[in-house]
This record gives sequence, C-alpha cells and structure tokens, in this order.
Amino acid sequence: MIAFEGVFHRFGAVQALEDVTFAVPTGTLCVVLGESGSGKSTLLRTVNRLVEPAAGRVLLGGKDVAGADPQALRRGIGYVIQSVGLFPHRSVAGNIATVPRLLGWDRARTEARTDALLEMVGLDPATFRDRRPATLSGGQAQRVGLARALAADPPVLLMDEPFSALDPGTRRGLQAALRRIHAGTGKTILLVTHDLEEALALAGRIAVMAQGRLAAEGTPAAVLGPGAPEPLRRMIRPGTLALHRLAALPAAGAAAEGPAPGAPALPPGATLADALLLMLDRGADRLSFAGNPGRHLGMAAILRAAAP
Amino acid sequence: MRAGEPAPGPPGPALPALAPLALAAGLAPLLLGWIAVAPNRLLSPRPAALAETGPVLLAWALFHAALLALLLAAWRPRPNWLPEGAAVLAILALAATVGLGTAAGLPPGAAAARAAPAAGAWVALLALALATAAASALRGGTPAIPLLAALLGIGALGAAGLLDSLSLVREAQGRAADLRAALAGHLALSAAALLLALLAALPLAALSLSRPRLEAAFLGAASGIQVIPSIALFGLLIAPLAALASAFPGLRAAGLGGIGPAPAVIGIAAYLVLPLGRGVLSGLRVASADLVEAARGQGLSPGQALWQLRLPLGAGVMLGALRLAAVQAIGLATLAALVGGGGLGAVVFQGIGQLASDLILLGVLPILALSLAADAGIALLARVAPGGS
Repeated sequence: MIAFEGVFHRFGAVQALEDVTFAVPTGTLCVVLGESGSGKSTLLRTVNRLVEPAAGRVLLGGKDVAGADPQALRRGIGYVIQSVGLFPHRSVAGNIATVPRLLGWDRARTEARTDALLEMVGLDPATFRDRRPATLSGGQAQRVGLARALAADPPVLLMDEPFSALDPGTRRGLQAALRRIHAGTGKTILLVTHDLEEALALAGRIAVMAQGRLAAEGTPAAVLGPGAPEPLRRMIRPGTLALHRLAALPAAGAAAEGPAPGAPALPPGATLADALLLMLDRGADRLSFAGNPGRHLGMAAILRAAAP
Repeated sequence: MRAGEPAPGPPGPALPALAPLALAAGLAPLLLGWIAVAPNRLLSPRPAALAETGPVLLAWALFHAALLALLLAAWRPRPNWLPEGAAVLAILALAATVGLGTAAGLPPGAAAARAAPAAGAWVALLALALATAAASALRGGTPAIPLLAALLGIGALGAAGLLDSLSLVREAQGRAADLRAALAGHLALSAAALLLALLAALPLAALSLSRPRLEAAFLGAASGIQVIPSIALFGLLIAPLAALASAFPGLRAAGLGGIGPAPAVIGIAAYLVLPLGRGVLSGLRVASADLVEAARGQGLSPGQALWQLRLPLGAGVMLGALRLAAVQAIGLATLAALVGGGGLGAVVFQGIGQLASDLILLGVLPILALSLAADAGIALLARVAPGGS
C-alpha cells in the first residue's frame, strides 16, 4: 500500500504539492490525473524519494520512505518515465538487468529473468535481447523500459507519463500490455497521465490533481459522478460527463438475467458507453452478450447507472 | 587504370586537393634539386646531381610509382586509406632517394663535406605531408596516424644506416646524449603540465556540473588565461615564483624557482585547464539529464551513475579534450627553454642562435614526433572507448 499523508512541497515560489492525502490499496492500479503543472509528477516522485516532501509523510507498506536508504528504496520500486531513459551503450538485456545487477543476482538467474520479462512485455527474446536501444521504435523502447522496471519483481511500480510520447495505436497496445501485466502480477501501480482516455482505460482508482491539491479520488465512475470537480470537467468536452462515466463502467456489471434473442451482441470487455452507442447505432433498446446467452442489458439499466 | 577494370566513375572528392600536391611533390625535386653538398660546415651547400647508382634509381622509381598511385587513389569515388598509404610510401621513397643519393654523391674520404636534402626534396616532403593530412581529413580520420607512420618509417631507414651521409644525421650522432636529455626533459615538462592541469580541471569540472555560477567563473577564468601570450605568462610567473622560493627555502630545494621548469610547467598547465575543463564538462553531459534521472530512479548511486553512465558515454569527448591538451602541452613546452626550463626548445633556440638549420631540425623533428605520437595514441584509445563509436 502507498499512502500520502498531508504531503507538501514547493519549488521556489511555486506550491507544487499542498496537503495531499490519500492511499492506494495494495494491488490497485491508481492513475494520477492532472494537467501539466498540477503537481502529479512531483507527487509520484515523492514515493521513490526523487523529491523529498517539505512536510508530510509518504508510507510504503506502512513504513515512512524517509527512513529508508534512497538507493535500496529505489531498487525495490519499478520506475518508468516518458523519455524511457534506456542506457544507450548497453543492449536491451543489459538495460533490463540494471537492477538485478545492482542487487548482485547471478548471471543465470538474471538471463532467465530477462528473457521471461521480454516475453511478458511482448518482445521476442531471441530478436531483441542483444539489440541496442537506438535500433528500437518508441513503442519497443517503452516495452523494454517496462521490462526494466519489473526486473527485480518489485511490488510497486511508478509510471510517469509512460505512454504520452507514443502514437495512439502504439499507446493502446502498451496500455493493453500493462493491463495484462497488472492482472497477471497484482502489482500496486501508480501511473501519472494528463490523458482522461488513458485513465479510463487503465485505472482501478483515479486521483485528480489540480494546482498541487488533490481535487478528487475514488473509482473512475465515482470521480466522474455528477459532483465531478471542475479540473476534471475541464479535461472533457462540455456535456459529455455522463458518457465518460458510462465509459468507466463495464457493461457486464449492469446485466440482467434472461436471454435477449435477436438483440445485437456486445463484445466481451465492453463498457456501458459502448453499449449505449451500439443501441443508438442499431435502434435497439436491448443487447445480448457475446458468449453469455443467459444475460441481457436494457436501456433502463444504463440510465440507472448513469445517474447514481 | 589496369585493363579489365570497370570504366572509371566520376573523380573522387579527394582529387582536387591531392592532385596539385602530388604534382608539386613530383616536380619540385626536378626543378629545385634533390640534394645539396657543401665542402665543409661553414660553406653554403650547392645543389648536386643524383648519382645514378642502382639503389638510388630504385628508390627514385619507387618515389614516382608512389606518386602515381597517390594520383590514381585520389581518383576513386569514395575516400579510403589508399591515398594516405601512397603518400606515406612516397615520403619514405623520398627519404631513401635522398639518403642513398647523398651516400653516393659525397666524395669518398672528404670527412668535412656535408650533404643535405636540397630545396626540391624539402618542398616535396612538405607537399606529401600536406597530401597525407588532406587525405586523412577527407576520410574523416586523424592525420596523426599516417604521419607518425611516415616518421617512424624514416626512423627505421635511419636505423638501417640509409641516411648516415646526411649532415642532419651526423649532427644527431654527435649530440646524441644532449638530444636524449632534451627529449626526456621535454617529456617531463609536458607530462607534468598535463598532470597539473588535470589535477585542477577534473575536480573543478566535476563540481561545476551542477553549479552554473561556479561553471561560469571556472570557464571564464580559464578562457581569460588564453588571452595572455604564453611567453608573457611564463615571464609573469617568474617574479612571484622567485619571491616564493626566497621566502620558503624548502621550495627552492624542491626545484621551485623563478627560473627553470616551474614557471613553464605552471604556465603551460594554465593554458590546458580550458580545453580539459570544457571537454570534461561536455563529456559528463553527454548523458542527458533525463537519462541520469532514470538511472537515479533505478537505484544507481551518484557514483554508479558516474561510472556506469556518464564516464562511458562521455569517454570519447573527454579523450578528445585530453588529446588536444596533450598536443598543446608538447607544443608549449618548446617555449620552456626561454625561461630556463630546458626541453627540446633549448635545442631549437640554440640552432636559431647559431643559424644552424640542422640543429633546429633536430629540435623540431622530435617535438613533431612526440606530438603526433600523443595525438595518434589517444585517438586510437578513443576508438575503443564505449562512447566513441
């Protein structure tokens, strides 16, 4: 668990963090959402002590990080940044082995771990192991960056705008990879982004930052509820808050018992926003679930979910 | 062009630079003479004809074949090492022609007679050295390596006795002990100055890395020194060093004084601080701030980030600065003789005082060799550095 307790920080005259308090439960992927200058990256960097808070505490697994040796602390936390930051003079395998080497793992263990991680992030070990970072595409480089962060199997992953520099298609591919890795490993992940779509695609919980303060925190649907804070409303097109809320809710959660023969079928993993758009597109008020003929979804259930 | 080769493509980029130099090297000995002979040391030498013995003709033919090869190599569309090889071969053939020619041309038994390369041979040597440098530069390499090879080759010819009849070699044989001492002194002066400059520049550059005001002051002061002419700086150092030595006799016992190597070493080092400091700083910055931050985030300590990231990535740039500073140190050490610091400069200035061109050359050639060796050595080192490729 990561917990922020009354964290303050200032850069010169700028109040970067002001009394930030919230907790990220173990195993949760929490997205810190905010515009540039909102203090979201600064908040992330207090966890691995790249930034030392002026006041307040940051707890990791119940222990104040201020009491830990910074290097040992950081070796136990995966860290992924927008510019990737691969070492250009080392191979892909050498980059992934950075922390295992610092921890003194033996060669066989490091090599086995490197290959397993390349598989995990969707890169063929035989093809990529010995490549230099300069020969990788942006998406491949960030996959290696993710593998490097996971190398020593840290329980916590910090990700600072990891996919912001990638084109939309590549970004979606990496988001899918991250969702898969999160589901498979149960890591606690704190991910910073300015992109609401990305937050909705990944988040179990969302923390909204604005001008150094925590504007809202909770599940995506709750944060996007009718009482959504102004900074969050600024990130979306006016009048689309309800649609974004629906986009944060899985369609399966609003399903009702009973088949709906002949109704258009929703693909697995669809959200209520997808369901509503499918109804509008087909002129239907009932949908079936592909691969689950015993359940259906009605328009009324969507209306109930949209206005909690 | 040999028969059977494909039709020549467009002339290579080296041709406009190399062709005139190769032609000049070929024509100069023809017009200005190969060798000059004087009956004794006091009379000026006069051009003499090359004796047409077998070995002389062989060396002469090799010289012209190498020039032809240089022209043909320069014609190739892509720069490669062939022009440099041909130019070095031409230099060696030139030296052999002159050496063998003087041996055959000196009247037997006339011990006082002196023989030297004539103006034509010197012009050819200069043109070929320029051609080597131009060919290296066009290929993107350092001219120091082929020029050093040429110098070592001439040394080998000398060691084989081919150049024994030249007055320069006779002069060198007569002063062998003096020359060795001057060479050792020159090396000591340059090395001491380089070491002193490194001791000052390395910590200051490291401290300046994250302190912009210190960096501005450090580089500003180091640049300021460059404005002072070197002899003036050596002179300026004499008075304070002399005062120090008289105030603290222990210093004088340790070899520090107003006259001698101390002002030269300190003065040379002062000039080297700028190239070294600037090179080390830019080398340390080859690893971007983002990259160093990523390394910190992985849990690398500042020392590990330095050794695993900043130094390997910046090694090429830093070795480049070291190369510049080493060559500069060897050149500036020549002036140490003016403040009583010794070194090969003493030989050069003695030669100038006596109007003895052989003596001047005996001072200048080893300086040239040292400087080329330092340049080539550090260039080769930079090639194996991880950040160099």
